[in-house]
Amino acid sequence: MNEKIITYIKDELSIESIDSIHIDEDLLGNGIVDSLGMIKLVVFLEKEFQVTISPEDMTVENFNSVRSISTYLSTPRT
Amino acid sequence: MKLKLTASQLSLWVGQKMNPKVPLYNTAYSYEISGTINQQIFEKAFQLLIDTTDALRIRFYEEDGIPYQEAREKLDHNIEFIDFSSDPELDVISEWLLDRSLKTLDLSHQVFDAVLIKKSENTYIWFMNMHHLITDGVSRKIIFDRMNSHYETLLGHNAGLQPVTSAPYLDYVKSELNAASSKTDDKDSYWSSKLHELEKTHSFYGIHPKPDATEASRVFLQLGRERSEKLQLVLQRPEVKGWTAQLALFNVMSSLLFIYMYRVSGQKKLAIGAPLHNRISRKFHHTSGYFLEIFPMLTEIDDADSFKTVLQRVKLENSNNLKHALQDTVTPEISNSFNVVLNYIHTGFSNFNGFKTTSEWIYTGHIDSNHQMRCHVMVPESNGEFKIMLDLNHGTFDHELQQKVPGHLLSLFDAMLTDIEMGISEPSLVSHSEQKSLINPDFRIVEPTSNALTYFEKNALNRPNAVAIQGEKQTLTYAELNKKANQLAHYLHEKGIREYQKVALHFYRNPEYIIAVIAVLKLGATFIPIPSDQPSERITFIIDNSDAAMVLTESGLAQHLNLGSNPLCDITKEHSEISKQPFTALHTDLKMNDLAYILYTSGSTGKPKGVCISHKALTNYLVWAKAAYNTNEKSIFPLFSSIGFDLTITSTLLPLISGGRIITYKENTFGADMSLMQVFEDNMVNTIKLTPSHLALVQEKKISDSYIHTMIIGGEDLKVALADAMQSAFPNPLRIFNEYGPTEATVGCIVSEFDPKKHRERSVPIGMSIANMQAYVLDSHKNIVPQGVVGELYLSGIGLAEGYVDSPELTNDKFVPNPFIEGSKMYSSGDLCRINTNGEFEYLGRKDDQVKLRGHRIELSDIESNLIHHPEIDRCAVVLIEDKKPIPEEDVVNCIECGLPSNYPNTDFNEHGVCHLCTSFENYKFKAERYFKNDDELVQVLTSKRHQNPNYDCISLLSGGKDSTYVLARLVNMGLRVLAFTMDNGYISDQAKANIDTIVKKLGVDHVYGQTPHMNEIFVDSLHRHHNVCNGCFKTIYTLSTQIALEKEIPFIVTGLSRGQFFETRLTEELFWDESLDTKKIDQTIIEARKLYHKENDAVKRLLDVSMFDDDKVFEKVEFVDFYRFSDVSLEEMLIYLKDNVGWVRPTDTGRSTNCLINQVGIYVHKKEMGYSNYSFPYSWDVRLGHKTRDESLEEINEVINETEVKRIMKEIGYDKSDEDWLNTDKLVAYYTGNPKLSLKDIREFTEQRLPSYMVPTIFKHLNEIPLTKNGKVDKKALRNLTSAQLELDTPYTAPRNEIEEILEHIWQEVLQLKKVGVYDNFIALGGHSLAAIRITARINDEIELNLPLNKIFELPTIAEYSGYIENTLMALLEE
Repeated sequence: MNEKIITYIKDELSIESIDSIHIDEDLLGNGIVDSLGMIKLVVFLEKEFQVTISPEDMTVENFNSVRSISTYLSTPRT
Repeated sequence: MKLKLTASQLSLWVGQKMNPKVPLYNTAYSYEISGTINQQIFEKAFQLLIDTTDALRIRFYEEDGIPYQEAREKLDHNIEFIDFSSDPELDVISEWLLDRSLKTLDLSHQVFDAVLIKKSENTYIWFMNMHHLITDGVSRKIIFDRMNSHYETLLGHNAGLQPVTSAPYLDYVKSELNAASSKTDDKDSYWSSKLHELEKTHSFYGIHPKPDATEASRVFLQLGRERSEKLQLVLQRPEVKGWTAQLALFNVMSSLLFIYMYRVSGQKKLAIGAPLHNRISRKFHHTSGYFLEIFPMLTEIDDADSFKTVLQRVKLENSNNLKHALQDTVTPEISNSFNVVLNYIHTGFSNFNGFKTTSEWIYTGHIDSNHQMRCHVMVPESNGEFKIMLDLNHGTFDHELQQKVPGHLLSLFDAMLTDIEMGISEPSLVSHSEQKSLINPDFRIVEPTSNALTYFEKNALNRPNAVAIQGEKQTLTYAELNKKANQLAHYLHEKGIREYQKVALHFYRNPEYIIAVIAVLKLGATFIPIPSDQPSERITFIIDNSDAAMVLTESGLAQHLNLGSNPLCDITKEHSEISKQPFTALHTDLKMNDLAYILYTSGSTGKPKGVCISHKALTNYLVWAKAAYNTNEKSIFPLFSSIGFDLTITSTLLPLISGGRIITYKENTFGADMSLMQVFEDNMVNTIKLTPSHLALVQEKKISDSYIHTMIIGGEDLKVALADAMQSAFPNPLRIFNEYGPTEATVGCIVSEFDPKKHRERSVPIGMSIANMQAYVLDSHKNIVPQGVVGELYLSGIGLAEGYVDSPELTNDKFVPNPFIEGSKMYSSGDLCRINTNGEFEYLGRKDDQVKLRGHRIELSDIESNLIHHPEIDRCAVVLIEDKKPIPEEDVVNCIECGLPSNYPNTDFNEHGVCHLCTSFENYKFKAERYFKNDDELVQVLTSKRHQNPNYDCISLLSGGKDSTYVLARLVNMGLRVLAFTMDNGYISDQAKANIDTIVKKLGVDHVYGQTPHMNEIFVDSLHRHHNVCNGCFKTIYTLSTQIALEKEIPFIVTGLSRGQFFETRLTEELFWDESLDTKKIDQTIIEARKLYHKENDAVKRLLDVSMFDDDKVFEKVEFVDFYRFSDVSLEEMLIYLKDNVGWVRPTDTGRSTNCLINQVGIYVHKKEMGYSNYSFPYSWDVRLGHKTRDESLEEINEVINETEVKRIMKEIGYDKSDEDWLNTDKLVAYYTGNPKLSLKDIREFTEQRLPSYMVPTIFKHLNEIPLTKNGKVDKKALRNLTSAQLELDTPYTAPRNEIEEILEHIWQEVLQLKKVGVYDNFIALGGHSLAAIRITARINDEIELNLPLNKIFELPTIAEYSGYIENTLMALLEE
């Protein structure tokens, strides 16, 4: 999961081209992805992992790093 | 390589094309560089810029109307240089810059305009204007940085630095074009579901945006340091905080805009457009071009929202909207749904070649005509100040309004920054100075010096012999009236009546009532008018509630009163005592603050409430009205409206204080009050006070010799169309005053004189407040609303009532402290109003469920509270059902192809003015043609059973008109043996009869007449059932001719129905839905429909012998053949044939093209009830099929109808609907739950005892349960949507309960043209007939893919039963 997310960010989203993203790297804080890019990422995640991400869940806490994204996606939701 | 335009580019292209001369999308910037620029190097750098930026080399052009773009390989360009250093004045340069920015760009040549300006030795300006089609905010920065980089490199400053490379813009265009074709364009997408939640385009401050306006002004909002700091804090709040600070700011600004839009439009469902950079793919991060996409942001505001709740919600909705905008195509409807745009601009200082540089966006003064407001938020680089720029389109915002808008927005801004929990409706929008323009700060009351009575007494003294009152039995001069009033006053005084006491006046409208009013006033007492039609229970309540010292009444009314111990004076009985009293005046000291009268109006608790009016309030109105309406000794008023009605005060007292005359019109003791008709019949008055409902009744009366020159209209909303009609109908120049005023503000307190030039909206504005009165439009927090915005009307001033009798709480509730004038009160009217651009108040309806029915003010809850007391009623809800009014004739247009009128139900015209029937017929015309046959086939059919009958092949139905005569002549001509049959319905004209006799003689055929003594009853039934006479007549013809055919064993009956009539009566669109058209199947369906047709339970079935139809075999024994199915002939050919072969002449004694005298009654009634002629539809088909021209059809349809003759025939056949029935169709309907067996008589009597007649519902309908809205309130809208036919059903309304029932309801709604259908409603009772059965069955079969037979709907005539049948059929199919 982490790989897929990292690849997508690297190939499509990151504002500047980067070689690698650490799974704990602060995506927003370090300016790797901006807010519109994040929404694009949400669209990607929904399609790729067959999930629905509600606007309530679109928080910094859930999305600040690749690790938190995959943790969020792996947590079962009611 | 040429490319099409992206969707975003395309919308700019279209906008520019519509405004070719307007610099709509010029994005011009000036960069002022504080340093010396090397001109040659700059020039070279600029060429390099072009070389490295494909967007700058693009040109646009159209081929076959499709726009394309392509980038040239090379574009040589020498940047223009201008030296202003000898004239470096700031405004000269800025003027030049603005001028240059307005220059429209020739897109087929060059998409930019660039200039280097030398301002002084060490100040240069780089002017760069690019068309929006190739640039956006991010691109602007890219261009600047790239230019800087080239310049520095050329200067040698960047040695060794690699220039940044970027992908070409056209690569992006290509990827967009590809992506567009793969985006989901799902009809059921998120966006189409959102569409339902949107209202029409927002209109702010009550102004409908002018279309195509592009001129706009830019106004600035400086937030300043303090606000900016507070805003930064808000951005940190958890309910706002998003992924980035930028997103948080976007959420806050969009929330604020939504709240502002709600506050100045009143609309709750809102949309704004947000242009976002859309550079999601990294590949294009450094590409210059137009990437922007405008994303729709939608929300729904609730009045109970606080800033915080909106912020929370908008944050989530914005994310959701963005998410969906990125994956689904936004529907064009959504894209066009916003006219406010929220834009983001990052500001910041850049350096050019190390020199400090400031940039300025030069505003061209135009914006997209679709946008009324563009809000640009300038985001500071670090913790600087926020700035907001608003581009305000002149299509909404005139100069005055532009000045106010920043203040309105800032008020909301400040409220949010101060207290995020504050309700969004709480902060006032208007500034102090703006408030002054809406409320006259210098308002001072000038108290009247003498009371109204003294005006009357002066008239009695000065003109004693002038006539004051003219009644049915007596005429009184001023002196006589005064004497009689004095005598009565003395008598009452003797009986113990004193100042401050209340006297109830229960009278008919007659001179005695007026004498009594004056007598009570002379005593210094208070009168309480109680009209004759009040139920005794209500009267008892009023007398107890008001603590009346006496009831004054007359014989004829006295006996219904049940007063117990209350003193009663019957002036008829006590006449001789009264007439012994002295003529002289009583010496009482009237004080202006004393009560003049108490008027009881409908109250929401179920009991009427008494409104107390002082002498000063009454005098203020009367004295003002005398001057404003110019009433004088020549004025003659009728007193014809209920004395319990506040507007009647005008007719009762205004003539007497003006020295004029009153003509009294006594009401009937039972039945409808026809006094108004009598007023116009008598034609003795010149001034009249009445309601718009009254006026509508007058409309068609004989008024061409009326003397009326002044009309005062009150009580209801006055439509401009009605006022217009009045001014043209009355012979004298007519002044129409529209007077507004609740009883609580004394008769009238806001008034306008109708001005046909100025008043062109739907309703006549109510105008401006009268002397000593003020009116305010306030929001729910009692803030003054900006001009144009809707709010509740509050009234203040001398005319306010003192309050309600014995209800201090209600009084305090309605008469609240006036925040604008210390120490005074204002009355909360519950009426919604706005102030228009002329400063006039406009009335827009009620806040609550008070309704007006024919001028009477009724609290629906008043009726409900009374009904609920019935022991067998559990719950109830009362609504006012306003039957749909026909579209006025002048607003009706006819389809440019077939002439179908636009008021035909469910028509839809396309932009070329072609109706939906014409457009859809195009698609099945070729199929329809297969239904038709030729002459030879006709002969074949009609001779196929020749062996059965030695005398006749067929019966030919002959009405004597052109079509049936042609049929007969042609049949004879074909060698067929024909028996002609004519139905004598009693209204065939003499000439037509003579025609018939000549024809049959000339053609040598046998001929029989059919008739029935029940014809008139059949006509009346047909008028009730179908709004015409023809349906009943046709059915009689079919029935009688079938009888003869059976008797004489004739196998065929040939009809003369036109092809248009086939489509009207049998060939419904649904029959042609089948891909492979099977005419046999159509024929079978039609026979099935005919079987059902003869089973319909109408007058024909009731009155004629129809037993032969019981056996289906009759449809085999006697077949109906439509002649025109086989013969295709135009009207012109037909007429020539008839002239040459038969000698047929058009009858002239019907005054019309028909040969039937009653035909026009049907047309008249149909037009009255449906708004259009019953021939409109079949004739449109005749035109569509090429059998008539549009002109021929319209000429026949628009033939003049002789109303006198129509009325005579209506009376003759016993059809009893009158003009009033057609005009006043609004009615009160009470729904209740409880005992379903409760008799109507019982409820009605119960209600009549408690409520005045105008408040008694016309219809009482039992329901199993009262429908509720989502919020648990009674769903009054659903209750209002039932039609009269549905209300008359004895089944309670039940909504569909499952999917099949929903599908069925939907189909029934469409075919039967109903807004609601209950699942237990009976198909036939709803007006369903065989044609509707064909349509419904075909639609069901299409929808559920079954093949259900036609007759099922008659066997199972409710949705509930039918749906059960479908379920069983489906189950059976599954089991198979």
